[in-house]
Amino acid sequence: MAVQLEPYAPVPSLARDDFPAKLRAQWAVFTRAWTIFRRYPTWVAAVLIWPVIFPAVYILGARALAGPDGRGLAAFVQATGIQDYIGYIVVGTTVWMWQNIVLWEVGTSLREEQLRGTLESNWLTPTWRFSFLLGSSASQLIEMILFLGISYIEFSLLFGVQFQGNPLLALLVILLCIPSIYGMGFTFASLVITAKEASAFVFLVRGVVMIFCGITFPVLLLPEWMQLVAGWLPQTYMIEAMRMVTLGGADLRAVAPDLAALAGFGVFWLAVGFLVFGWMDRRARQAGTIGQY
Amino acid sequence: METTPTFLSYLYALLAIARGDWRRYWRYPLNAVAQVFQPVIWLTPVFFMGQAFSANGAAEGFAAYTGTTDYMSFILIGTALNNFITAVFWGMGYALKNDMDTGVLESNWLAPIPRPLLLVGKTLSSLLLTAITSASMLVVAGLLFGFRTSGSALAAAAAAIPMLIGLYGFGFAFAALVLVLREANSLVDVSSFLVMLFSGANFPVTVLPRWLLPIALIMPLTYGFDVVRGFLLKTRTLLPIPQEIGLLVFFMFLMVALGLWVFRILERRVRVKGTLGQH
Repeated sequence: MAVQLEPYAPVPSLARDDFPAKLRAQWAVFTRAWTIFRRYPTWVAAVLIWPVIFPAVYILGARALAGPDGRGLAAFVQATGIQDYIGYIVVGTTVWMWQNIVLWEVGTSLREEQLRGTLESNWLTPTWRFSFLLGSSASQLIEMILFLGISYIEFSLLFGVQFQGNPLLALLVILLCIPSIYGMGFTFASLVITAKEASAFVFLVRGVVMIFCGITFPVLLLPEWMQLVAGWLPQTYMIEAMRMVTLGGADLRAVAPDLAALAGFGVFWLAVGFLVFGWMDRRARQAGTIGQY
Repeated sequence: METTPTFLSYLYALLAIARGDWRRYWRYPLNAVAQVFQPVIWLTPVFFMGQAFSANGAAEGFAAYTGTTDYMSFILIGTALNNFITAVFWGMGYALKNDMDTGVLESNWLAPIPRPLLLVGKTLSSLLLTAITSASMLVVAGLLFGFRTSGSALAAAAAAIPMLIGLYGFGFAFAALVLVLREANSLVDVSSFLVMLFSGANFPVTVLPRWLLPIALIMPLTYGFDVVRGFLLKTRTLLPIPQEIGLLVFFMFLMVALGLWVFRILERRVRVKGTLGQH
């Protein structure tokens, strides 16, 4: 007897695609990432120890270059306009560490899901896929606020750095750093889904920041072509603005060009991050490689 | 079948281990490229920072501490020697951990050879590979930043030998510790950085605050760095050079004996607990 099949009628999805639903998904990703972060005690090393020992290498090097009687310091003051070479170094190294940690943690967040075997199943949920990056970045941002706060205390207590200037302006500089740093992280995370290799990319990007952005020296000392490259990197403006505000006591008008550049870079890198994510996601799904590693 | 180990069979085993590591290393040539260029990248901020502290191209402040204005050659020697520290911490410390992860450690352990020999084999390849990458790094960095020596390279190399043997002796103990802990990424990362910091790879240890200086002075590596720079750059050394060499030879025997002893104790502990194959 021939069986008469009913014509297929798709069941309407129970999933809601409105804004609160997107927020709830991001909150779920955030709480998961935050729980994983607290689960491993190595975060203590990242947050407490590295802010001190990483800049210490450069600070002690600078101390040696200054000489026992400080004879080298005059040349440094002439080159930078800042007397406090320790403060000068910690600002640069802190921006570098921030970018480095974001590249590792945000940049490899999707890759880790791929390795754990959960990326493909998460991708099948009726969720805006960018939520996975936004949620894990929010958790990472909390970690970084903790990192910056502890660094500030440690620099003041252990290195005797006296930060001055308007704290609200310093906060504004930090806020304007966020879009560029995390936009780069999003771009990086998206590329890693298809490239499946993070280390070489991290070494490349953080190496570029280390060479060109003046983490321990004024960019003006670089050869002209290197200064041109530095001008295209947001970290150069982050370091410059932060030094001017916290060590030189600069006002809003003095750092306005740097802040404008940071705002522009922020919009650019967030847009690049979003577009590259969409492109890489489509590419990985078409090639069927989203779960491969 | 009963096997009777001979000196020759130990030598074959040693070379087989070294050859295996050598082939695995060159299977991923990007690692070698990274080992050459990573230190160069890290040194770039130091180079320009030195320019900021120099008047008319001479780092007079640095000379007051060390006896030389050539801060880049001073730091490059430290960086080249520091590569061996990194190799011991990451290469040796993680050598057994890698075997553990790939599941070959337990079967290697059953081979009829003394177990420390497994580490000696890894030491041979690590020493050779690090010497090659460090020499290449010096060539690249020399072209970019300038690297000049005025003393005897042969004497410096001879003085470095007891330091390196002692360092690898310490590597035995460290490898065993990683074997016990099984996951020690942060431990390796932070401790290798601290050793680099306190032994004065990038600056003369005399710039350390007084309360930190004793830590540098009890580390044999400090004298190794100091004596090699003394020979190559004619810098002022912490102690007279013969005394520093005497200390390095003493520490070489001490570290090798201590490393083997710790390795035996911890390796036995891992076998008793039955965690050798776990990771």
